[in-house]
Amino acid sequence: MASFVTEVLASSGKLEKEDLSSKIGKMSRKVEDTKEEVCDMINKRYGDFLPCLQGSEELMVQVNAVSKEMDALKNCIENEVQQNMHVAVTEYTKLKQQLEKNTIIISMLQHLKEFHDAMEEFSKALPEKKYVDAANHLEKARESVDSLKGWKTSQLPLLSALSSELTVQRENLIYHLGDEWKRLVVWKLPSSKEPAGQKCFLKVELNLSNASSKGDGPKPAALLCCVLQALAIQGDLQHKMKLFSQVLLKNMLKPLVMYASLSVRVSEQPGEGTTLALQCLEESNEERSTPSQVYSKLLLVLTTLHSHLLDVSIGDKRLSAILGELIWEELSQCITHECLVYSIPTNNNQLEKYSTVIKETEEFEKSLKEMEYLQGDSTDLLKYARDVNCHFASKKCRDVIVAARKLMTSKMHNTVKITPDSKLRLPKLPAPSSEVKLKQETTKEEVTMENSKQLSAWSLRLPACRISESVQQLMELALNTLCEAVGSSTQCTLQLFFTVRNIFQLFYDVVPTYHKENLLKFPHLAAIQHNNCMYLAHHLLTLGHHFRAHLPQPLSEGVATFVDMVPGFRKLGAQCFLTQLNVQRAELLERLSTAQNFCNLDDEDNYIAASKAVRQVIHQLKQLGTVWQDVLPVSIYCKAMGNLLNTAISEIIAKIMMLEDISSEDGEHLHTLCQSIIEEGPLVFIPLAEENKNKKYQEEVPLYVKKWGTFKELVIVLRANLQEIVDRWADGKGPLAVEFSSSEVKSLIRALFQNTERRAVALTKIK
Amino acid sequence: MDEDVLTTLKLLIIGESGVGKSSLLLRFTEDTFDPEQSATIGVDFKVKTLAIDGNKAKLAIWDTAGQERFRTLTPSYYRGAQGVILVYDVTKRDTFMKLENWLNELETYTTRNDIVKMLVGNKIDKEDHEVDRNEGLKFARKHSMLFIEASAKTKDGVQCAFEELVEKILQTPGLWESENQGQKVRLGDQEQARAGGCGGYCSIP
Repeated sequence: MASFVTEVLASSGKLEKEDLSSKIGKMSRKVEDTKEEVCDMINKRYGDFLPCLQGSEELMVQVNAVSKEMDALKNCIENEVQQNMHVAVTEYTKLKQQLEKNTIIISMLQHLKEFHDAMEEFSKALPEKKYVDAANHLEKARESVDSLKGWKTSQLPLLSALSSELTVQRENLIYHLGDEWKRLVVWKLPSSKEPAGQKCFLKVELNLSNASSKGDGPKPAALLCCVLQALAIQGDLQHKMKLFSQVLLKNMLKPLVMYASLSVRVSEQPGEGTTLALQCLEESNEERSTPSQVYSKLLLVLTTLHSHLLDVSIGDKRLSAILGELIWEELSQCITHECLVYSIPTNNNQLEKYSTVIKETEEFEKSLKEMEYLQGDSTDLLKYARDVNCHFASKKCRDVIVAARKLMTSKMHNTVKITPDSKLRLPKLPAPSSEVKLKQETTKEEVTMENSKQLSAWSLRLPACRISESVQQLMELALNTLCEAVGSSTQCTLQLFFTVRNIFQLFYDVVPTYHKENLLKFPHLAAIQHNNCMYLAHHLLTLGHHFRAHLPQPLSEGVATFVDMVPGFRKLGAQCFLTQLNVQRAELLERLSTAQNFCNLDDEDNYIAASKAVRQVIHQLKQLGTVWQDVLPVSIYCKAMGNLLNTAISEIIAKIMMLEDISSEDGEHLHTLCQSIIEEGPLVFIPLAEENKNKKYQEEVPLYVKKWGTFKELVIVLRANLQEIVDRWADGKGPLAVEFSSSEVKSLIRALFQNTERRAVALTKIK
Repeated sequence: MDEDVLTTLKLLIIGESGVGKSSLLLRFTEDTFDPEQSATIGVDFKVKTLAIDGNKAKLAIWDTAGQERFRTLTPSYYRGAQGVILVYDVTKRDTFMKLENWLNELETYTTRNDIVKMLVGNKIDKEDHEVDRNEGLKFARKHSMLFIEASAKTKDGVQCAFEELVEKILQTPGLWESENQGQKVRLGDQEQARAGGCGGYCSIP
C-alpha cells in the first residue's frame, strides 16, 4: 500500500510538471491574441474614426445653412400666400353654392316639364284607348312628382297641386280601365237573395267579349292586353285579378267540383265573344263526380280563359301565373276535400285501380303547368293522390271504428245461439313459405308420435249459449278487417291491425257504461252481456295466432296478438253477471225479511206474511230460471240458480234456528212452508229449452245448493218425535250430525219440545 | 230401551249405480223388496239395531248414490265410518271391474285405517253370472275384505252380510267406543284380542 501511495504521489508530481507546461503554453497564446486585439482597436479608433468625425462636422454646417433658407421661405408663404388663398377659397365657395342652386332649379324645372309633357301625352293617349302609353306616361309623371318631393328643402305649394292633379288623373285612368274590363269580361251571377245550392249556380255565365268597339279602336285582344298591362303599371292589376279570381272560384270552379250534375259549356259567338256557361246535365245518381270528370270540367274553363284572356305577359310574369297563384290554394283544397276524399277506395281491389286516378291528376297538373297557371314545383294535388295508401288506410280505419261503435250502441237483446260446433268463418289464408319447410322436416320421422287417445273434438269449445247478434257482427267486422289487412301494404296493414285492437278496446270501455242501467235492470241482458264477453275472450285467444304469420314485421314476430285483452274481458263478463246476482240476492233477502222472522206462525197474519214471502221467493227464482233458460251455458245456469236458492234457504234456516219456542202448530206451519220449497225449489232449474231434459238437473239440486242437505234435515226434525231425532243423530254418526252441531240440535229440541223427562233423556244422547 | 245398546256403528254402502245397494238396505231394515226401486238421489239413511252374541249394536247405515254425477257428495259421508259394504252385480262384469275405483276413493276419504270392508256380490238369483264366486273371493282376499254373495230379492245372504260385518267390527280393538262406560263387555266365549273364528270368509293379511 505504501508503494501505491508513493506511486500515486510520484505520478502526480509528473503530472504537475506536465500541467505547468501546458498552462504556460496556453497563456502565451492568449497574450498574443490580446496583443492583436489591442492593435486592432487602436487602429480603428485613430485610423478610421477621426476622418469620419471630420466629415460629419462639415455636413452639419451645410445643414444649418439650408435650414436657415427654409425658415425664410416659410415666413414668406405664411405671410403673403396664405392671405391670397383665403380670399380665393371664399370666392370659390360662393360660386359653388350658386352653381348648385342653379342645378337644382334646373332639374326641378326639368321635372316639371316632364310632368307637364307626361300629362299632356296622357290626356292625348287616354281617349285613343292607348292605355299602355297612357299608363306609362302617368308613371312618368308620378316619378317626376316623387323626385320633386325628394327635395324636402323646398316646400312649394306647387307640389300639392301637382300631386292632386296626378291622383285625379290616375283615378280617371283606372276608372276607364275598369270600364273597359267590365266590357270585356262580363259575369252573369245569381242574386245574393237566392239560397245557395246547386240550382242557383245554373245561372252563372262568363262572357269574354271580343266585340270591337265602335270606331276604330284597337282590336279586342290587344285591347285587353293593353288594359291589363296598364293596370299592372298602375299597380291595380293584383286587386282586379283578386276580385276576378274570387268570383271565378266561388261561382264557377267550386260549384263544378262540388256538384256532379253541373257542367260547363263553351260557346263562341262571332259578334259577341266566348261564353262559359254552367249547365245541368241529366240528373246523375252519384253525389260526387269522379276526379276525371272534375279535371276535365276545370280544364275546359281554365283553357278557355287562358286562350282568350290570360295568355299575356305582364312584365316578366304571365297573367295565368298571377291568376294561378291567387286561386290554386283554394282550388286544390276544394278538389281535395270535395272530390279526392270521396274517391279514396274502400277496399283493396279498388286501391290497385287508383293508379289511374293518380295519372289523371298528374295530367291535370301538367296541363296547368303548360298554361303556366302552376309553377314547376307545386304538386299539392299530386302529393295527396300519391298518398292514397295512407288515406285509404285512415279512411278504412275510420269506417271500421264507426261501424264498430254503431254495433256496440245498438240493442243487445237480439240474440243468436252459439253451440260448440259453431265456428268462426276464418278465411283460408295461403300458407307462408316457412310453414311448408317445417312440414317437410317432420315427415322424416317414421315413428308415429301421436297418442292413440285423442282429445274429444268438443274440447275447449265454447259451451252452448246465446250472445247478442251485434257482438257476432262485431266479430265478423274484426275478421273482415284483418283479412283486408293481410292483403294490404305494410303501412296500411299496421294501421288496420291496430284499429282492430281498438275495436275491442272500445268495446271494453264503451259497452259497460253505455248499457249500464239496462244491465242492472234486466237479468236477461246481464246474462247475455256475460256471454258476449266470454265469447269475445274465447276468440281473442286465437285470433292473433291465425293471422300472425301473414302480417309484416314486427307483427309477425309476436306483437300480433290479442291475448293480453283476454283476462280483462273475462273479468268484465264475470263482474257484470256477479253484479246482477248480487242484485237478485238482495231482492231475495228483502222478501224474506217481510216474513216476520217466521215466529208465531199460529197467528193468522204472521202466517200469511211468511207464506207470501216464501211464495215470492219461489216466484222470483222461477222468473229468473225462465229468463236465463237457453241463454246461459248449463253449468253456469245451475251454479247461479243454485247459489241463489242457497241464499234463500240459508236465510230461512238461520231464522228458524233463532226461534226459541216452536209450538206444534208453528212446527206444522213451518214444515209446510219448507216442504213447499223442497218440492218447488228444484223445479226452478230449467236450463234447457226442451222440457223433458231438465229433470236431470233438477235431481242434481243437492250438488248446486250447498245447504240443501241441511234444509232437508231441518224439515225432518220439524215433524219428528224425540226418538226419531235421536235416531237421526245416531250418536253423531247420522246425517243430522253431519249438518248440525250438537248445540244446534239441542236448541232445536228445546224449542220444539216441552221440558219433560223424556226430553232431558233425549238431550243427553245428543253429544 | 237403549240401555243395553253397546255402541252405535256407522256403516256405508257403496258401489256402481244399479247393483242393488238400496234393495239390500231395504231388505235388511224392512225385509221387503221393491222391483221398481229408483236410483238414489244424494244419500239415504236408515237406523237398525242388531244383536250379535248377546250384544246390541245400533247401526247407522248410509246408502249412497252410485251415479257418477253424485260422486262429489259421497266423500263427506265417509267420515267416521267403521264399516263399509262394497256391492257389485254378479251379472254385470263392469260393476266388478269398477270396484278398484271405489276402493281408491274409500282409501282417500276414510278417516280410519282399520275400517272393516265387506264385498257383496248381489243378484245371485239371476241367470247368466258374469263374475263367478272364486273371482270375487280372490278379489276380497287380495284387499283384505270379507266376502259374501247375496240376493236382496230372495233375502239370501243379506242378514248374514250385515251380521258378519258388525261382528268383525266389534272384534276390532279401537274401532268402536263403548257407549256405557264401565259395563262389562260380553263377547260370548271369545277373547277380545284374537281374530275371531267365525264362520265367515275373512282373510288374514
